[in-house]
Amino acid sequence: MQPWRSRSAMRGPVGIVVISLIVAACGAGATLAPTIAPTTGASPTAAPPTATPIPPDQVTGSLDVLDWSGYEKPDFWTDFKKTYPKVTPTFEFGISDADIYGKMKAGSQADIFHPYTGWLQFYVDEGLAAEIDTSKLKNWDKVPDSFKKIGQINGKQYFVPWDWGFTSILYRTDKVTTPIDSWSALLDPKYKGHISMWDDGPGAVTVSSYVHGYNETAITDQQLASIKQEWIAQAKLNISYWAAESDLVPLMQSGDAWVAYAWQGAYATLLGQGVPVTYANPKEGRNSWVGVYGIRKDDPNYDLALAFLDQKLGMATGNNLVSEYYYGSANGDVMKGITDPTLKKAFSVDDPAILTKTNFTPNLTAAQRDAWTAMWAEVKASQ
Amino acid sequence: MILARRAGGPTGPRPADPRRRTFRALILPPAIALALLLLAPLVLMAALSFRTDLSGTLLAPFAPTLKHYVAFLATPAFGRSLGLSALMAAAVAVISTALAYPLAYFLAFRAGRRAAVYLVLLLVPFWTSYLLRVMAWKLMLGGEGVINSVLLWAGVIHEPIAALLYNRGTVIVTLIYVWIPFAALPILAGLGRVDARLHDAAADLYASPFQQFRRVTLPLSMPGVAAAFLMVFIPTIGEYVTPLLVGGSQGAMYGNVIQDFFTRAANWPYGSALSVVMLALTLVLVFIGLRVVNPRRLLGT
Repeated sequence: MQPWRSRSAMRGPVGIVVISLIVAACGAGATLAPTIAPTTGASPTAAPPTATPIPPDQVTGSLDVLDWSGYEKPDFWTDFKKTYPKVTPTFEFGISDADIYGKMKAGSQADIFHPYTGWLQFYVDEGLAAEIDTSKLKNWDKVPDSFKKIGQINGKQYFVPWDWGFTSILYRTDKVTTPIDSWSALLDPKYKGHISMWDDGPGAVTVSSYVHGYNETAITDQQLASIKQEWIAQAKLNISYWAAESDLVPLMQSGDAWVAYAWQGAYATLLGQGVPVTYANPKEGRNSWVGVYGIRKDDPNYDLALAFLDQKLGMATGNNLVSEYYYGSANGDVMKGITDPTLKKAFSVDDPAILTKTNFTPNLTAAQRDAWTAMWAEVKASQ
Repeated sequence: MILARRAGGPTGPRPADPRRRTFRALILPPAIALALLLLAPLVLMAALSFRTDLSGTLLAPFAPTLKHYVAFLATPAFGRSLGLSALMAAAVAVISTALAYPLAYFLAFRAGRRAAVYLVLLLVPFWTSYLLRVMAWKLMLGGEGVINSVLLWAGVIHEPIAALLYNRGTVIVTLIYVWIPFAALPILAGLGRVDARLHDAAADLYASPFQQFRRVTLPLSMPGVAAAFLMVFIPTIGEYVTPLLVGGSQGAMYGNVIQDFFTRAANWPYGSALSVVMLALTLVLVFIGLRVVNPRRLLGT
């Protein structure tokens, strides 16, 4: 769901605390600003008294986007670039949902941030996300209701859905001769030394839930304890966890890993490289996730941030997302326009039952987040 | 620390001494920098470790809790990982110091006029990024890496050896490689202080070359050796990048556990508590180490 996350954001825990606390200290001061700052990204002096809106191509200002590495590519905001040529967004990066949430929590001054399903509730609970004024989004009616709903928390629209995709088992067809049809392949001793799991506690809980038929939203302590044992044993079969698709792709490409938990971006990249891989349709169903954009609460740059998100839903941007990363766009017209057979296969558009066979990622509670991530740290520490 | 204590003297400060005033003026900027950049963050980290979670305003007062320390004690795997990391750090420190010693010895006594050139060569790896140097090991050791390819080509093996990469041994080997040049520098400085005429004196007294080394050079260079050991040992306990890159699923160190709580769990308070525990253990180990080695004796005071 987040291609090419770079490792450059890694730093020591102490460093993180230092930086975040400095940021937090600055943030504390800066939160006073919105009450006196203009609510437009455009230069206020340029606005005539009649309040005629400034044409987009004359709007100046800056935008700060906290995103995953890879999404800074201009192809993924090409509509905005065309419409607002005088505004160039700057990007800062998070390496995981937890990282992005931690940065926002520590007072990041990013105007826009990019979380994924599972982590949305926290932003609203902690007062980090501004409500989205959908009346100002020209592309909003192109977004299917099911996607709109994903961006709603406590009955209000806090997020603009943007990208979505599947999680399933990706495997090398030249190394694995019997087709894989279950998530249990990730736990199968048959593939010892050639499995690569995503480095993520909630991800591991999800896989175990599918395999054992647990209710993912109501995992008991007992179930969690057995999930922990399961993944402690799995580590002996697993060659390496991957944190970013840029870790997974070379692992699969070189033949070190044969079977992996994967998003379809890795599938797309490997297909593009001519590596013999396929993407399983497990009997327990695939997993599906949605990426959304939020605007920081009390952001003085709210209008420009909203314009950015509106343009993110544009056709050209959506087409780039689909063709370059094989991720789905929240713009329904983009999806209807797919003709490329490889893409059709990647999204399983010809399989009418695919969505009924798909498990959507539920939002975590704080207790689940803390317990599941601690479980995962324990799995690693137990080796 | 020792020097500062000496400068203070057993009779306490003498404000009238102008040299002391200069000393204070000179020590002030680094002291402020240390306080701001090292102590303040540590204090903040320690404070954070008593928070329940990240919710609420970060810098606002909060009701302190020991729950993360309790959770640490209730999770034997974390304590075990910390002990294992300390052992790995000790092994890495001993081996890289031992391997760096001949290098430093050569530079100090045998390289002669070319010493400067060799020193630059020793430091060349620092011109590339640490990450790149570790990544280079992946190219060497991977399933389709240099070693496996050569062995397959030569017909020595018929299947790539998977055990070369992604395990704890790889982490140790990579860390040793990374640390050798670092470890050589303090040893070189220590050897530089050894008066070369002592070798002649020892030889005059019929000491064999080995005896010269064993009775003269090595003891005199021990402060450098101790410095090299600590310089490797302390940062290696908390190492997390190398295990992340070459350790695979079974090579995680305690630093990775801490990192998990910051970047994969958004549980900074727990991560801070684990860091405080590691800091405390490191201090205790270094304190014990210094008592055993006794740098004062090493310095001949």
